[in-house]
Amino acid sequence: MFFHIVLERNMQLHPRHFGPHLRDKLVAKLMKDVEGTCSGRHGFVVAITGVEDIGKGLIREGTGFVTFPVKYQCVVFRPFKGEILEAVVTMVNKMGFFAEAGPVQIFVSNHLIPDDMEFQSGDVPNYTTSDGSVKIQKESEVRLKIIGTRVDATEIFCIGTIKDDFLGVISDPGAAV
Amino acid sequence: MGSLEPFNRLVKLAARAFYDDISMKGDNQPKTSRGDNRGMAVVVLDALTRRQWVREEDLAKSLKLHSKQLRRILRFFEEEKLVTRDHRKESAKGAKIYSAAAAAAGDGQSGTKEGEEKVKLHTHSYCCLDYAQICDVVRYRIHRMKKTLKDELDSRNTVQHYICPNCKKRYSAFDALQLVSYTDEYFHCENCNGELVAESDKLASEEMGDGDDNARKRRREKLNDMQQRIDEQLKPLQAQLKRVKDLPAPEFGSLQSWERLNIGAFAHGDPSAADSSRNAQGQYNGTPMPYLGETKVEVALSGSGAKEEGAESGTDGTVMKVLPPWMVREGMNITKEQRGETSNTTKGDEKSEGKDEKKQDSKGDEKSIQDEYIKAYYEALKKRQEEEDAKRMQEEGHTLSSESHAKRLLGTKTKREDGDVEDEGVEWEEEQLAGNTAETYKFVDLNAEAPESGDEEDDIDWEEG
Repeated sequence: MFFHIVLERNMQLHPRHFGPHLRDKLVAKLMKDVEGTCSGRHGFVVAITGVEDIGKGLIREGTGFVTFPVKYQCVVFRPFKGEILEAVVTMVNKMGFFAEAGPVQIFVSNHLIPDDMEFQSGDVPNYTTSDGSVKIQKESEVRLKIIGTRVDATEIFCIGTIKDDFLGVISDPGAAV
Repeated sequence: MGSLEPFNRLVKLAARAFYDDISMKGDNQPKTSRGDNRGMAVVVLDALTRRQWVREEDLAKSLKLHSKQLRRILRFFEEEKLVTRDHRKESAKGAKIYSAAAAAAGDGQSGTKEGEEKVKLHTHSYCCLDYAQICDVVRYRIHRMKKTLKDELDSRNTVQHYICPNCKKRYSAFDALQLVSYTDEYFHCENCNGELVAESDKLASEEMGDGDDNARKRRREKLNDMQQRIDEQLKPLQAQLKRVKDLPAPEFGSLQSWERLNIGAFAHGDPSAADSSRNAQGQYNGTPMPYLGETKVEVALSGSGAKEEGAESGTDGTVMKVLPPWMVREGMNITKEQRGETSNTTKGDEKSEGKDEKKQDSKGDEKSIQDEYIKAYYEALKKRQEEEDAKRMQEEGHTLSSESHAKRLLGTKTKREDGDVEDEGVEWEEEQLAGNTAETYKFVDLNAEAPESGDEEDDIDWEEG
């Protein structure tokens, strides 16, 4: 799920940036530092949408670095248990398949794949229904439900299932070609 | 009160389905077979279906339970949200208000023995079934059961676990990313690089060895079986739930409002407030007349030897117009009012119970069989009488037209009767020979008819015996 929230961070700025564009430099550095990171609490920071407030800088003794407390608005993405996501399959093996929805890695184990889908090894490993009408392989887009999340300080990993109503392949790259 | 019965039935079914084997034991008590009080919960719930607000002491007394034991059960049911309880400090007078209300409510179970000398304040607990909540609770419970099972069956919401057969290290699906091997399609142990196998989970975890397709299949079978059994065994309960769904749940309100209501109804001479409540009012200072009803219930119960439930439905019987000498015999002292009060529940209830209630013991079946038999018998009897009537009419016509013909017919008829009737028939023939006019014949015929039917009554007895 996406959230638009305000976060705060202490930015350290190198003295070489001090000058007329200090503020721009600060924001650019903030974006570089923060976007794409993950915090266990808030999830992935997708994008910074604005800077609310930059506090008074504090010059570090000895180094000359300045620390600015910065408040910024950002969009974060945090997967939740029970959430339905659309994801792209990245790898298929006998144990199930991996997919990713943006920065989030999701594993769907083979017992959470409908029973009528069988693993087919070969050049392009895939899960296929007995009549061959539905195929899950690399680059397939699937809609899945998250049934568990493991949130580390820097990473969020999810377990998903496609064994439920309206879940499964939503576009098949093989068919499109 | 009319809408109470389906709800009571729901409570009874639910009690048997879910609270049958619940033992109300303190943890400190040793588990001896003698102290085994499983099923007590069911008895208490059943008893509560026959009451409205009831003081717990009285309930304990009438159930011959220790009040502590009863309280433990009631506390359990309170937690289960089946029962609402109310505690209050009251003097003897307050208790009497309750008693009057109870009597006015006509639930007939307020066998209070409130001594006048009690002036001290005592904390009394009252309890009552909360029908509306019970419906919700039961529905929710069934829903949860089914959902859990279904999820388990579809292995939904279960995080797969993997185990290394070599070093027995366990992994969950969350570790999947680290376990992927790019050489083959299996997960590999981080320690020994052995191939991991999926571990079958939860309900079938006893056969942990091979977490493969075989175990999965077995597990599925087990779950399927369980699901089927749930469906099957809860069918009567669910049918009852459906029946009850659109009915307004009986609402007794809080203890205070209930008391007020009942006393009020009674003061207005509400016809539903029965005779006995007038009694209670008359001796408002003394003990309110305990209903005679309760004793009767027990009599019927021991007589038919049935479960509480059976006996319960047995006692109330307005259906019983047709009914059964045997029933009347057992519940001889049932008052009319009581019959009227608990009307029209018995027969259908009992019969359907016989059909779908699994726990109904053979006694209930026997009852319904007897019932059936008696009905059929009466029907046959009626038919036969009608036949005979018709025949007699015919005969009469014939007699008028030709005497000899009538004689022959009569002869055949007597032959049809059993030996007992034989001499009767003979007598009749003689008479007929003596007096030839149609009138005398008629007169004699009437005479002859009476003993005949009497004979038939004998016949019944003989068949029954």
